Amino acid sequence: MASNDPEHEHTGEEETSAAAEEEDTGAQIAPIVKLVEVAVATGEENEDPILDLKSKLYRFDKEGNQWKERGAGSVKLLKHKESGKVRLVMRQSKTLKICANHLVISSTNVQEHAGNDKSCVWHAADFSDGELKDELFCIRFGSVENCKKFMETVQEVAESQQEKEESKDASSTAGLLEKLSVDDKDTKEEVKDSSDAPKTEEPEKAADSENKEEETK
Amino acid sequence: MALPNQQTVDYPSFKLVIVGDGGTGKTTFVKRHLTGEFEKKYEPTIGVEVHPLDFFTNCGKIRFYCWDTAGQEKFGGLRDGYYIHGQCAIIMFDVTARLTYKNVPTWHRDLCRVCENIPIVLCGNKVDVKNRQVKAKQVTFHRKKNLQYYEISAKSNYNFEKPFLYLARKLAGDPNLHFVESPALAPPEVQIDMAAQQQHEAELAAAASQPLPDDDDDAFE
Repeated sequence: MASNDPEHEHTGEEETSAAAEEEDTGAQIAPIVKLVEVAVATGEENEDPILDLKSKLYRFDKEGNQWKERGAGSVKLLKHKESGKVRLVMRQSKTLKICANHLVISSTNVQEHAGNDKSCVWHAADFSDGELKDELFCIRFGSVENCKKFMETVQEVAESQQEKEESKDASSTAGLLEKLSVDDKDTKEEVKDSSDAPKTEEPEKAADSENKEEETK
Repeated sequence: MALPNQQTVDYPSFKLVIVGDGGTGKTTFVKRHLTGEFEKKYEPTIGVEVHPLDFFTNCGKIRFYCWDTAGQEKFGGLRDGYYIHGQCAIIMFDVTARLTYKNVPTWHRDLCRVCENIPIVLCGNKVDVKNRQVKAKQVTFHRKKNLQYYEISAKSNYNFEKPFLYLARKLAGDPNLHFVESPALAPPEVQIDMAAQQQHEAELAAAASQPLPDDDDDAFE
């Protein structure tokens, strides 16, 4: 079989000439549902993209000890207009389904992939399916430059989140103390008295409810 | 009969029956849509596997219950039983194996015996492979039987959304229906403690040395 047969080539050219293929040769069949156009929300309305690159995403299958494809499309870093929080959102091209959706936080650490200089890896608590899941991701770009750009931007975001968290530290400690005092009214005064984080001295009841929270996460 | 993954949803759902010879890529195609992965290993489907597959359209969310049936005769199971109440169908063949195209009329006949007047898409899979045995011009069955035809590749994702888009448009009678961005919900804040963080780092270091499944393939969108 001739290898230069045009039918073997699936290039962009073929995509555009696919119009002939688009012709509807299907039978006339009565529809079985009536659907009405609805308002569409991307969920990204209050965010600005700070990065948008074509890429291919993989997730690590721990059981099989291997990377598996997750989707190919555009990876975006979106910064929230008010909170300043940044998240990574990636959608599969054509179907536009979400294949990654997680915050970039201070501990987000992107590292090079050992065997491929166009790809890098990181851990995230991913929210693609509407529930948090620990995932190891690998992303591959078309060029080394794009990979570098991605790694640098994520790194910058992680560092800026770190600074934000540090400046918030004082207030969050106060918040924690307040929470403990609500959790256990009997020991309200004890907790209020201690100016340091009373981690080791926590009353049993408060400690229990904290543990339960951890488990359900 | 209690069926897996058949919980009802509050948006339109359709039973989609997928048939075709064994090894043509029915399961791989469904998996590709479900998780994004491309499974190279061939493990024949026994009987049927039902997978719910959601799409977001300009007319809201819709769901296909994909009845991924065994292509191999010996693993066939109920056959006609799987087709009952099918509302749309995909017949798959492999463009690198002529026999799988020759068997398309048989799959079509069996399907139509149970499901009359449902929209059907004929899919010629594996068009990414260099040595095709069935050329696009040789595919004519769909014209005789009024089916829609798409050349697809579950491997390269070429046209991989088209069968679902076509079926959705026919089922809704709306030629302008299209897929839209699904809403990206705000991910909640997470607290990561030091121990967990260290474990992630260790796992990540190990994973970073594992090769990617398609490292050799540089072409992607």
